[in-house]
Amino acid sequence: MGGYIGNLALFFSLIFNVFLIFSLVKGIRSNNFKNLRTINFFNNSIFLLLLISFLTLIYCFIVSDFSNVAVYQNSHTTKPLIYKISGAWGNHEGSMVLFILILSLFSFVFFRTKVSEKLRVYTVFFQSILILIFLIFLILTSNPFDQMDPRPSQGLGLNPILQDPLLAIHPPFLYFGYVGFSLVFSFALAGLVTNNFDKSWSKIANFWIILPWSLLTIGIGLGSFWAYYELGWGGYWFWDPVENASLMPWLAATALIHSNIVTLKKDTLHSWTALLSIFTFIMSLLGTFLVRSGVLNSVHAFANDPYRGVYILSAILFITFFSLAIFIIKSPKKVLYGKYSFFLRDNFILINNCFLIFFLSVVLVGTVYPIILDAISGKSISVGPIYYHTILAPFLFVFLFFMSHGPLLSWNKEDKFLQIKNFKIFFLISIMISSVIIFWFFDYKDIILILGLFFSAYLITSVIFDWFSQKKLSLNFGRLVSHLGFGTLIFAIFINAYLSKEINAAMKVGDEIKIQDFIIKFKSINKIKKENYEEVFGNFLVTNKDKQVELTPSIRKYDQPIQFTSETSIKTNFIVDYYFAINLSEFEKDKIMVRFYYKPLMFWIWLSILLIAFGGIYQTFKLRNE
Amino acid sequence: MIFSKSSKNRLKIFSLIAIAASIIFFFIYNNLQKNVVYFYAPQEIKNLKDTPSNKIRLGGLVKEGSLKKNNNTYVFIITDLKNEIFVEYKGLLPNLFIEGKSAVVEGVLKDKKYFIASTILAKHDENYMPPEVANSLKKNKLNK
Repeated sequence: MGGYIGNLALFFSLIFNVFLIFSLVKGIRSNNFKNLRTINFFNNSIFLLLLISFLTLIYCFIVSDFSNVAVYQNSHTTKPLIYKISGAWGNHEGSMVLFILILSLFSFVFFRTKVSEKLRVYTVFFQSILILIFLIFLILTSNPFDQMDPRPSQGLGLNPILQDPLLAIHPPFLYFGYVGFSLVFSFALAGLVTNNFDKSWSKIANFWIILPWSLLTIGIGLGSFWAYYELGWGGYWFWDPVENASLMPWLAATALIHSNIVTLKKDTLHSWTALLSIFTFIMSLLGTFLVRSGVLNSVHAFANDPYRGVYILSAILFITFFSLAIFIIKSPKKVLYGKYSFFLRDNFILINNCFLIFFLSVVLVGTVYPIILDAISGKSISVGPIYYHTILAPFLFVFLFFMSHGPLLSWNKEDKFLQIKNFKIFFLISIMISSVIIFWFFDYKDIILILGLFFSAYLITSVIFDWFSQKKLSLNFGRLVSHLGFGTLIFAIFINAYLSKEINAAMKVGDEIKIQDFIIKFKSINKIKKENYEEVFGNFLVTNKDKQVELTPSIRKYDQPIQFTSETSIKTNFIVDYYFAINLSEFEKDKIMVRFYYKPLMFWIWLSILLIAFGGIYQTFKLRNE
Repeated sequence: MIFSKSSKNRLKIFSLIAIAASIIFFFIYNNLQKNVVYFYAPQEIKNLKDTPSNKIRLGGLVKEGSLKKNNNTYVFIITDLKNEIFVEYKGLLPNLFIEGKSAVVEGVLKDKKYFIASTILAKHDENYMPPEVANSLKKNKLNK
């Protein structure tokens, strides 16, 4: 029953969308927008219909309606309610419904703002074209309401590593981020077509860039946190193509936020801002393509249907081609050159914009090159973390330097003297901090480590200096928090990379091993039976000098589908994480494989990501109130 | 003068960007070449002219009954049904490393018959087969 309602809602949203496009074209042609109410009606109904179909899908999952193919493939009656619900967007079809729903949500909200009629109509026009493209995709290749007859009595279950509370909320955040950039994309095209791409465009766009950016930041953070405690490999970022897919739009959007501020403050860089608005959303689409088409040989790739890939790829090419064509034809002509001088804030922002685009190209090449090579020559390769680290690190340092000084410069008036004074203070403080840390904790000196600590300390010092020289803190609070978060993030990443320790061993109950500074004792083992899995807990005592930590990692054996997962046990004192994971071995049945990790400053990595996102959220609230 | 002053200027900027872009591209590409890990099936290794000295990945089925343990070192055979390669591995075997199932190992070749693995790549469920392995097995079954 639910299936019919959902299908009907989807179908009608497609029809209404076609009507909407017609009425928009009519409005645009008549040039007086007399049919605003009609447009508004269609726009609202599409959102409502898509919401109904999404809720229906959730309902199908909750009541385990296995006549629905998506439910059959991804759910099971014994699954806890929360995973039944999150199962609705944990699979390909459901996540595409969410994708379109968010496209239409942004269109719905934007049309109710106080922006000029012309811009609103054009923006919703481009947005509805996007909705059309993806609705057709959904209905043709991945209908979430496909029915099965006869109705199976039981579902196939959801992949156990996806049964996690964090992963239940991770995709919505990520999608709000990804898809949220569609609005600024449509708005940019609207601005270009109507020759309204100027300061006032930037003022409105600011909100629509920072909002999805903040949500994407949280989404990436949640994904990374999930990988850290769920995969049991002791790491939080693997340069996996799926992780890269979310990082690419983030980098583009970060560049966009900053260039948009330049456009807002100085009424320059129009073309660049417009190009970045287009580019950010294209990166989001590329991410969707990578994840959804199954071209990746990776943990996350669970969709496997070449038609989907071909459709999304053609859609991306189509969207890219037309948006760039609009950009080239209607590129904002107004260029204002003032008296040029180097020590201006917009110059530093522009330099770092170039760096961000460079980082983006590095990630893009590393992610896409293996796929292209495979398609052309049939050779399979993988690009390891070393590629990213060696190529990114040296540029990151310069980036941090410009990031430290940029916000302290004036927009219009060159002020060299103050610069040099600041430079000396920052230099001395950060040299002190980084050398104390290096001599205290490290018995070897690596130049990359030294530079990493130095430049992140430099950024943190400059932000604190900036913080205390504010006349009115609320004015720049968002920026200060985000920049501070970025400084502590880089600092924590470097400490973590160089001070982490790992111990691997095979152990029996009662064993005690002593490696490096750690004594690990395997105290006991116990089993419990849960609703849809069996769990074996190991009880370990780790002694590090005079510190004792008890950890209880486990192995779960899921029934549907039969699969083993390692559940980690992590204890943190906010400085260091003690991290434990265990494995079964088919070969040595009497022993358990244990992995112990000593991970410093993990808590600070998560906190930093939160700070970065919080700065953005604060800013969006402030912008909304304006 | 063929070009006006402004188009000359634009030409300058354009060529500057082009040069910068190509330097960056060359830099990235160079670094990429140094750090990629190639994947081979056992049969492909047999057909190689010389043994690659850098890190590679080897994938196929773990031959039934071939896994042996010697102190802390495991030795097993990876096969693609055409060629077999001995793999030596020090460390812990992951959850889903099972004889008769597929596996991907990363390491260096000592010679064309013997591989020293530094990592066994983890998988997430029993029935999952890395696409590379699936491809090479499919090819070999067809050619048989």
